[in-house]
Amino acid sequence: MSDCPRLERRYRRLLGVYPKAFRREHEQEILSVLLAGSAEGQRHPRWAESVNLLRNAVFMHVRHTKLPSSWESRHARVMVPVRIAIGIWLLVLTAIMYAYGRGGWWGALLLPSAALHFFLAYRLTHIARS
Amino acid sequence: MQEATFLILTALAGDSQHGYGIITDVEQISNGRVRLRAGTLYTALDRLRADRLIEPDREEVVDNRLRRYYRLTATGSERLAEEADRLRSNAHAAISRLDRSGGLATT
Repeated sequence: MSDCPRLERRYRRLLGVYPKAFRREHEQEILSVLLAGSAEGQRHPRWAESVNLLRNAVFMHVRHTKLPSSWESRHARVMVPVRIAIGIWLLVLTAIMYAYGRGGWWGALLLPSAALHFFLAYRLTHIARS
Repeated sequence: MQEATFLILTALAGDSQHGYGIITDVEQISNGRVRLRAGTLYTALDRLRADRLIEPDREEVVDNRLRRYYRLTATGSERLAEEADRLRSNAHAAISRLDRSGGLATT
């Protein structure tokens, strides 16, 4: 085990990339583990150890930044009427195209799109209710 | 369950241990095959704690260094026992099939 204060400082700097909450909880003990695993007279963090710390810091950031649980349902509640409105608008456009005798191809394009929007709105209602 | 997780829980199944103790114990249990790095260990411990499979036991300061000991919870023991059962039954199935097909015969 190395007692080099420089090594400790360098490890501390590496641990600085972890989320704050995680550091408050674990920094001291990780530091103990890192120093316990270091070789006598070692001054620099080992390359593989540093890469491992940085990689896991990314995992911890992902884990600790949760979207608010209400976010998804709030988003869905907004998107349901938006999808329905787009669907209706596409139906209106189709009707206009048919009225002007250009239904054929436009209808083939617009009707499935409208159906898709209605379908997505229907799928979202489950999330919006949660 | 990942092998590292299984080995960490196994290390804690006996007595409570601190971080570095877990690393050396896991290395021993796996016959030197698995050497956990500090980052990996604490990501796993953080997850296991959130899932309530382990909990902090006590803290000690040795040479001005904090050591936090962890122990298995009742849920943790259960999960580890289930997993060990599953592995045993898989291993048993593999060995008996190999026996039957003569796969273990040294020809």
